[in-house]
Order: sequence, then C-alpha cells, then structure tokens
Amino acid sequence: MCQHPRVQALADRFAGYVAHRWPDASDVRVDELARIHGGASRETYRLRLRCRRGGADEERRLVLRRDPPGSLIETERSVEFRAYAAFRGSRVPVPEALWLEEDPAWLERAFFVMEEVRGGEASPQALLAPPYAAHLARIGEQKWTILGEIHRADPLALGLADVMPPPALDACWRRELEHWERVIDEDELAPQPIARAGIRWLRRHPPRPAQKLAVVHADFRTGNFLVSPDGEILAVLDWEMAHLGDPLEDLAWSINRTWCWARDGRAGGLLPRERAIEIWEKASGLRADPDDLLWWEVFSSVKGLGIWISSAKEYSAGKSSDPVLGLTGWWLTNAQDRALLESLGRLS
Amino acid sequence: MKPEVPLALQKLAGSLLLEVAPAVGADYLQRNTGVSAIMLQMAAEEWERAAARRVEENEALRALFRDSVRVVADAQLGRRLTEAAGTRDPDLRVSTLEAGNAALRALLVELHAHVEGLDGPAARRVEDAIWAELRRSTERRALALAPF
Repeated sequence: MCQHPRVQALADRFAGYVAHRWPDASDVRVDELARIHGGASRETYRLRLRCRRGGADEERRLVLRRDPPGSLIETERSVEFRAYAAFRGSRVPVPEALWLEEDPAWLERAFFVMEEVRGGEASPQALLAPPYAAHLARIGEQKWTILGEIHRADPLALGLADVMPPPALDACWRRELEHWERVIDEDELAPQPIARAGIRWLRRHPPRPAQKLAVVHADFRTGNFLVSPDGEILAVLDWEMAHLGDPLEDLAWSINRTWCWARDGRAGGLLPRERAIEIWEKASGLRADPDDLLWWEVFSSVKGLGIWISSAKEYSAGKSSDPVLGLTGWWLTNAQDRALLESLGRLS
Repeated sequence: MKPEVPLALQKLAGSLLLEVAPAVGADYLQRNTGVSAIMLQMAAEEWERAAARRVEENEALRALFRDSVRVVADAQLGRRLTEAAGTRDPDLRVSTLEAGNAALRALLVELHAHVEGLDGPAARRVEDAIWAELRRSTERRALALAPF
C-alpha cells in the first residue's frame, strides 16, 4: 500500500507509463512502491506491477531507478541499462533490464526499469552474520569467478562500444587517472596530501598496456551483489560506472583494503587476497602481474578518495540530504587514506 | 556544558538505533536513521578531540617545515615554508584551526612534490619525515567505527 501522496502519485504516473509501453495491457496497477537504498547517485524504488495482458493476469516485481533532480549524468544511465542488457543470459547474473526512458515527461526525470531480484542480501554487514556467514568462502569463489567471466567477455561482441568508448590498450590507465584526478581537483573541500602523493606515484610508475580491452564494472565489491541465504550470488548490481578498460582495474578495486569488512584482511570480507586473485586468473584466462596490479591498487585508492571527496562535497553543498554521503565522507576518506599508505608501503 | 556533549550525542545515537529505527516502517528511512545514528557516534568521538588534533597537527607541520627549509632548492618555496613555520593559531575555535590546517596541508603537498624531485640523503630524510607525518595524520583522524 502506498501511503504518502507523493509516492502514490509516482506509482500512478508509472502505471500510466507501463500502459503506454504495453498497449495490449489493461487494468495496469502499481502498488507497494517504496524507496530503497540502491546506490546514492539515483533514486531507487521497488514496486509491484499488476495488469491483464494476453488474456491473463500478470504480476511483476520491478525496480525503478530514477535520476536525481538536476542530474547531468545521462551517459551513465544508458551505460548502466545497456550493461544489464548485455550480460543478461550470460554466466554473469544480472536482473532483466526492461525499459530505458529518457523523456522526463513521464516521471519528471529520466529513469530505467529492471526486474527485482528477490530473496537476496547485499549489505556486507548482513553477509558477515548468519545465515550468510557460513558460506563466505563459497560466495568468494563465485564473486571472483563472475568477475573473471565479465573480463573474459568480448565487449565489442556485446555491442557496448557505442555507450562505452574503447580506449587504446596503452591509454586505459591514463584515462582513468586523469578522470579521477580531475574529480579530486574539482571537489576537494580540503587539501589531500596523501591522494596527491598517490597521484604523483601513479604518474611516475605507469603500468604496462592492458592485456585486453574488457568491460570494467568499476564498482565490483562486496555490497554490490545480491546473495541468497544459502550463499548463491543471484545478481551483480550497480553498473553505473561501467566502462571499457583494463580488467586489472576491477580486480584491484575488488580486493581494496577498505572492503575488508571482516577486519581480518580477507578480501571483501570473504577470501584471502591471494586466493581471490587465483580464482580471477583461472576464470578470466588473464594474469595479474604483481607490478601492474600494484599500480591499479594504488589507483583504486585514489579513485576511492575521489568518490568519498565528491560525496562530502555533495552533502556539504546541500545537493543531497542522503546521510550515506556524509558518512562516507567522514569514515571512508580516512580509511582510504590508510589503504593508500599501505599500498605505497608507507603505513608502517 | 552538562551533560557533556559526547555523552548526549551517544545517547541520541542509541535512541535512534534502538527506539526510532525499529519503529520506522519504510526500509529506506530505517536505514537513514541508522546511518544518522552512526554519524552522531562519530561526531561524539570528534567533538572530544577536534581542537587537540588540529593544534597538534598544525604544530607538527610547522616543525616539519622548519626542519625542511635547508634542503629545499626553490628559494620562493623556502621563504613560504619559513613564513608558515613562524605562524601561530590565532585562537582555538575549530573553524580557525581548520583554516590554518588547510593552509599548512596545502603547503605540505608542495613541499612533498618538490622533495620527491631532489637527490641525496637529506632530501630522503625529509621525504621520510613527510610520510611519517602523513601516517600520523591518518591516525589522528581515525574513527573507532572505521572498517580497518
């Protein structure tokens, strides 16, 4: 039941949109619409859609991802939608992507819609507790196997090149570094001497060209996939930063120290780091050269700092009242600084 | 100010977590309530040390600049380091200390980049001292609820 008039209005408008997309449907109703946490960059809602279609009653559980007010991130919206569509039916579990709507006439802002994957848990804290905690090693095996599958895929054959511009193999690192350095330049609210030292180190020690051009999920970490109570990964989510690039970027991000949720050094709170790398190498058919991986690990902390610094700025500027942005600005900036010092061999 | 501010913030956080959050029906608002409670706990931790850690760090940076000047090859940077080393925090308001800290940390970034480009053991000693200060700076800012 939708209680708040604003929420009810959104449900009604979405029902109108579905009737437009499915002209053969009648008695379209939307209820149980509720906002959920699904990445801070977009408003995410779950909902129930019911209608009559093809002479039968139909019920779908869906997720609606709507741009925030004033969003200028049009490419990211289509990137996320197209990534879901590209991997649907592959060994990479993703929800079914249904509609991408750029016309703000329907829901005031652009949005896309996908199937809701039910019965899964994403929260890292929840995964460390029963019933999931008994399956952490199994979850880890799947996690880095899936990451290897993402990187094994041919991004051009997936048809993603038009929304994800392909860089040259020797330009992957530079493009990402320049992007995140620019983010820090524009958004830092206070000087960041550790991030700046990291950036200078990255420029002095460039990695070798990427082994292959791959789809980089770009936020592949514990917390961004749904797990069933018996430890099966049901869906990989949050593809909004996906791009084509060096697959080591994803591997490094996935084992970054800030995601060691169990506080015992296990990558992603799941497996020893070396085991995670071994699984990824086997699944991807690629090699994680230690020097190149170190470069991407240092980079992943610079990128993390870029994200947390931006979150702090957005919260401070009043663009968003989401407390998660304020929280990450406080605790993850410091944790990421320490992760960066550790990667550079300067923590002790 | 009684009750003490950290105590009040901790109690408010506990109330949000144990009383308010369970009573909030909507998943999104329940989680925001929990996050707000965690932020209050962090604010309690920061309240106690806010001035002390800034005073300590500003003094540490000034001392680092004093010790580094003789190694610096750029005369203008050397003058700015000498000048910054001679400053004092005009008062103990956190906003004042923070402004001073930002100026000193910006200069630290310049010093670090400059020293990295110099050869010789003296430059390496300064660089090591900078890394040691950066390490201490993360310890000063560490929060008990941090992930590692």
